[in-house]
Parts: sequence; C-alpha cells; structure tokens
Amino acid sequence: MDSRIGYVIGDFIANVVLGAVVGLLCWLIVGPSWNMWIAMFLMMAIGSFMGLVGFFVVARWLGAMEAMVPLMFTGELTGMVVGMAVPMMPFTAVQGLIWGAGCGAVAMVIIWIANALLSGVTRDGQEARHG
Amino acid sequence: MADAVTQAKWDKLAPRFDTMASAGAEKRWGPFKSTLFSEMEGKVLFLALGTGMDIPFFPKGLDITALDISPVMIEHAQERIAVYDGTIEAHVMDVHDMPFADDSFDMVVTSCTFCSVPQPIEGLKALHRVLKPGGKLLMFEHTGSRWYPFRYMMNVMTLITRKLGPDMNRPTVSNVRAAGFRITEVRNVFLDVVKTIKAVKQPA
Repeated sequence: MDSRIGYVIGDFIANVVLGAVVGLLCWLIVGPSWNMWIAMFLMMAIGSFMGLVGFFVVARWLGAMEAMVPLMFTGELTGMVVGMAVPMMPFTAVQGLIWGAGCGAVAMVIIWIANALLSGVTRDGQEARHG
Repeated sequence: MADAVTQAKWDKLAPRFDTMASAGAEKRWGPFKSTLFSEMEGKVLFLALGTGMDIPFFPKGLDITALDISPVMIEHAQERIAVYDGTIEAHVMDVHDMPFADDSFDMVVTSCTFCSVPQPIEGLKALHRVLKPGGKLLMFEHTGSRWYPFRYMMNVMTLITRKLGPDMNRPTVSNVRAAGFRITEVRNVFLDVVKTIKAVKQPA
C-alpha cells in the first residue's frame, strides 16, 4: 500500500467522511421499531452502495482499487454497526455521525493491517494463495 | 476480426479515459509500473496501449509493438507515442486474433489488460504462442481477491463495471498458469487485488 503521506491522509479522511455520511443515513432511514437484523442487512447494502458513490467522487485523486475497496468496506461496516445500533437504543443524528466516522477510521486501519499481511512477493510456484 | 462489442465499449470510453484514470490511479500506480517496466528489453509486445498512459513509464530506446482493440484509444495515444524516445508501432488488434508468427517477441508486457479481455485464458494462450521460448511475460493487473469481504466487493463491482469497461474479479494468476506459463513472481501491490505478475514461457 502507498506510504506517501498525501495518500495516507487522503484515504483516511475519505473513509472517515464516508463513514459519517453512512452513519447519518442510518439514523435517517432506520426507525427505532425496526427489526435490528433487517436494519443491519439493509444498511450494509446501502452502505456498500454509498461506498461506490464515494469512490466515483474521490477516484480522480485517490486512485482506483486503493480508493474503491476501503470505501465500500467502510460503507458496509458502518451500515452493519450503526444500522444495528439505531433500533437497539435511543440514537441521535450526532451519534450517527460520530459512530459512522469511527467506523470509517476503524475500517481504514483494518485495510492497512490486511494490506500489510497480504503484501509482498511470492516466487516460483508459491503463488497458490493468489487469485 | 476484432470483437465488436468490446471494441465499441472502449471506443466510447476513450475520450474520458484520461480524466477517469490518469490523475488518480496512474499517479498511485506509477512507481510500481516504473519498477516493473524497467525490466523491458528486446523486441517487446505491449498491450493494451489505451491512450498511452503507460508510455511515460517505459525505458528509453526500446522497439515496442503495442496493441489495442480500440482505434479511438490509439488515436488518443498518438501524442504520447510521438514523444517516446524509442519506437512504438501501434496496431488496432484483438489479442485473440494476432497475425504475428509463433515465437516472435522476446517479451510480452500487459498493463490492466486481462480485466477486459473477453476470453482471458485464450488471450494468454495467444501471448504464449507469440512469445519466444524462455521469453518473459510481465503483467501489472488488478484481479479478484481470495478474501472476504474484498472478494464480495469485487464481485459486486463487476456487475456494474463490466458494462462500462473492466471486470474486477478475474483470477488472473490462475489464468496465466492455465495458459501454459510458469509463474516466477507475484507481488501484491495493494491487498491481493492489485499485483505484478512475472512468468516465463518454458522452452519446449
């Protein structure tokens, strides 16, 4: 993964902002009387879609896969966590923003860790783990 | 005969291609492409040329035969071809239907190509045919992922992007092997999604 500071900061900000937006959407869409499982799966799907929309917004600056994968992951994770939380407890718009932003930050850290684990070189027939 | 559907898809995308790809992806991938392409030598077959965004990463002074299925892409590449310090002969050609003789090239290089070739294993077999025994295949490609949730995301993306351009979930490393190459190195650039692949055509 890119260690150039502009990309590190850009990726992080994009994911935090997307998480906040999806968190707010969860608060707007999901009602307190909803079944939490339905809310979770619906918001995961909407969150992934919002990640895709976010990708088209930032791709020009942050690149292709390096932007798309984290943003879709952030959308999915935020939809899952906040979508499930809204029916379970009293939830405000500000909480939606903060929880969503937190999910974006966590998603980005998970991507960095996953990338550190998967990155590197395999040689001469050791590549069976690659797609 | 070029695949008309694929050709039309890329012809349509060509005028917007630089705007979509150059500022973001190419800047981000540039250092990795430069490192990979620095190994280019001898008589090189390069695909897919697109609008020529990879040309600035080519080493100087090479004799390169470059292909793209889209004539509009090649039109847009002319400015970059003109400033290259070497020879680039660009052809509108489908990888499935190359007229080159067997064992024609010392090296074949691809850049984000096999996300789009309609029959990837057949396309790679065609590259295998025109590569000299012992010749190298160098690839910079994005592929599907073996890991959830990334695999799921690439599958979902492919439903959308296939209509516009590339697939996001191709098992390109496996395809290279299936086409008869021996893989010598795979380097993951981003997760297991963006990677460089090096392979050789084994002498008969």
